[in-house]
Amino acid sequence: MSRLYDSRTTIFSPEGRLYQVEYAMEAIGHAGTCLGIIAEDGVLLAAERRNVHKLLDEGYFSDKIYKLHDNMACSVAGITSDANVLTNELRLIAQRYSLQYQEPIPCEQLVSWLCDIKQAYTQYGGLRPFGVSILYMGWDKHYGFQLYQSDPSGNYGGWKATCIGNNSSAAISMLKQEYKSEGVKLAEAMKLAVKVLSKSLDITKLTHEKVELATLTRDGNSCKITIMTATDVQKLIDEYEADEAKASAEKKEKEKASKS
Amino acid sequence: MSIMSYNGGDVIAMMGKNCVAIACDRRFGIQAQTVSTDFDKIFEMGPKLFVGLPGLATDTQTVAQRLKFRLNLYTLRENRAMKPKTFMSVVSNLLYEKRFGPYFIEPVVAGLDPKTNEPFICSLDLIGCPMVTDDFVVSGTASEQMYGMCESLWQPDLGPDDLFETISQALMNAVDRDAVSGWGAKGYVIEADKVTIKTLKARMD
Repeated sequence: MSRLYDSRTTIFSPEGRLYQVEYAMEAIGHAGTCLGIIAEDGVLLAAERRNVHKLLDEGYFSDKIYKLHDNMACSVAGITSDANVLTNELRLIAQRYSLQYQEPIPCEQLVSWLCDIKQAYTQYGGLRPFGVSILYMGWDKHYGFQLYQSDPSGNYGGWKATCIGNNSSAAISMLKQEYKSEGVKLAEAMKLAVKVLSKSLDITKLTHEKVELATLTRDGNSCKITIMTATDVQKLIDEYEADEAKASAEKKEKEKASKS
Repeated sequence: MSIMSYNGGDVIAMMGKNCVAIACDRRFGIQAQTVSTDFDKIFEMGPKLFVGLPGLATDTQTVAQRLKFRLNLYTLRENRAMKPKTFMSVVSNLLYEKRFGPYFIEPVVAGLDPKTNEPFICSLDLIGCPMVTDDFVVSGTASEQMYGMCESLWQPDLGPDDLFETISQALMNAVDRDAVSGWGAKGYVIEADKVTIKTLKARMD
């Protein structure tokens, strides 16, 4: 029955829902996972790389993580072509602000501006919404390190840690338990990211080809956005697996001790 | 009264052996009145790419900002640094867009190719006509004096230190013969591994 209200974005269903927007979010639920975590001294974004194919000619640097401006980067989940259009628009918005005010755009303003554009696609024009959710990480002089999430409805929120894409709810519940907002440094946050990704991704073993990790930190008077190299990512994964192996070995020891 | 000499100012760029140098005066004046002695006309557009924008001061600032806009988007999209020759085309395009109401700027571009470190200099007129040379380019209110100085002093294949001496002498002596130029000078020597910026001790009149 609800199918009658599906075809156009600009109409509500009798229950007051916008089906096209919800379907867009469905599409994102099948896309590669992205998670973001704020630490005391920086923010990080980690993303699952789905496009690993032997025949793919790996020309580009980064699959899912895009630099938007000197002080902001984002990670996308959903329809890649939609994501390309939006990241291009984000870069233009940031540059126009920079040209007019001669200072970098505050993070929330960039998110807010794009969300207004996304919202227009749910109300005017008869066009479908963008099938992309975006995680933004940034720094500005007003609020320091920030993490935002936006979705196809044009809604956005500021987060301390969050996840989008495939198995995001599992990842979020894990983050809810393990994330500590006070006294966490970036290195610890990176370990947490690897742990959460490893437990929530569908693949059996995490390798550096499947994960992209980027961090944003402050270096004196400027921001530094680093996309981690394959070797560094692999090192993190190896460290995590070593810790896991140690933890499970200790657990086995305890069980044996309690039994005997 | 000519618009190009309302504020006054000059820029020279010279080609050396595996290096380039670019230098400007530092005066900002309103006709005869000198207002500031730290108004640089050279802007860094990339780690080894500089542009000099002599002419009307307001356009100096605006064109520098608009060029940075285009260059930033290029760098983000293409994920690499812009070559000096490409940058010349960006400047040319920006200026020609205003063909019938131009920016009163006659830019000078100097830089090294980001990959090969090949040196590059060029100048453009106010509506974007590019001119690439392999010796030197000059632009500003004392351009005729600078042409004379460069023609006499410049030699091919000068090393970074000699190039710096040559460009400094050429600029300083040329602007000393111009009422609306001078009041300090700044020189940049761009090499493959470093950029040296020096403020020159010049006649403050």
